[in-house]
Amino acid sequence: MSIFSKIITAVRGGATEAGQAIVDTQSIRILDQELRDSKAALKDAKTNLTTIMAEQMALDRKVKDLNTKIKEHEGYAIQAMDKNDDDLALDVANKIADFEHELTIQQGILDGYDSKITGLKKMIRQTERNIQAMDREISVVKTTEKVQKANELAAAKFSGSNSALNKATDSLERIKERQQKREDQSAAAVELETEEGEGDLQARLKKAGIVDSASSASSVLDRLKKQKGKG
Amino acid sequence: MSKLKLEQLMKDLANSKLADGMHLSIEMFDGEDSVACIKVEDREEFPIYMTVDDGQILCITYLFGDDQVNPEKQAEMAEAMLMMNVMVPLSAFSKIGNQYILFGALSPRASIEELLHEIELLSDNVLDAIATMSTYLKEAA
Repeated sequence: MSIFSKIITAVRGGATEAGQAIVDTQSIRILDQELRDSKAALKDAKTNLTTIMAEQMALDRKVKDLNTKIKEHEGYAIQAMDKNDDDLALDVANKIADFEHELTIQQGILDGYDSKITGLKKMIRQTERNIQAMDREISVVKTTEKVQKANELAAAKFSGSNSALNKATDSLERIKERQQKREDQSAAAVELETEEGEGDLQARLKKAGIVDSASSASSVLDRLKKQKGKG
Repeated sequence: MSKLKLEQLMKDLANSKLADGMHLSIEMFDGEDSVACIKVEDREEFPIYMTVDDGQILCITYLFGDDQVNPEKQAEMAEAMLMMNVMVPLSAFSKIGNQYILFGALSPRASIEELLHEIELLSDNVLDAIATMSTYLKEAA
């Protein structure tokens, strides 16, 4: 079973528990146990690899040793033949044949070790990747559980009930109203500023004598008198 | 390690404002000091929960619970959420327990600017998401 499917089992298991814990604690315990098992297996595999590599080194030495001995004895055989000592040469040749036989066996074992080591190294890399992935996934599951608890705490603080969260659409309405209010306020502030700005402009125009500065009761009366006189 | 990182992020965030000038209020929200609760000014109804571990910074906001969804439209809504996941900038829909959530994930090496951007977008996306999903929710009582 892949790590994803295990997590989905854990999360689904929790979800059915009347919306309480989000993860089935039993599943998480199992995942934690599997993680520990994987880590133990990894440790074993590494120890195993070290032992096999040590054995391989010993074998390698043995094979080299045999090769040296074969070369050495080939030299002896040639020397014996040079001295026409056929008996001795035959004995040496026999010895060489023994060495070569032994070499074939040891070389076979050594080749076996090589592929074993490559396989073990591959397995260790894979296990390490799996452990990392598992670690990450379990950590996320635990995190979401903490967030869930925090949210329940927050909900309880807001409404005094730990299950009923405020209705999302109502909350959205409230936020929109607040936003509108804020926008209205800033629009009003802008308007006010503009009006004040205009007031300031009027004052400056009057001061400059461009706009009638004496728009007072007396000036109105004067104007009305003039109108009456014309009529 | 991640607790220290979370505390540092909280400090940095507390000294920051969002691009539109909105303030953030931040507090630790659980006994274990592992979940920070971030509230965007005027949007306190949808707090953002932030956690940090070795793999990622997670920002999670709760949208609504199963109990608010119109049961006849639940499957349709789940499909809509799945299809929208790619389109929604930086946030994705998901579910924790029986609550629908919107979340964003960042690298633990993300800068404070990137985190602020994430929070801002998540907060905007939450409002958009609820407005969009309201057609699948039960009518207001």
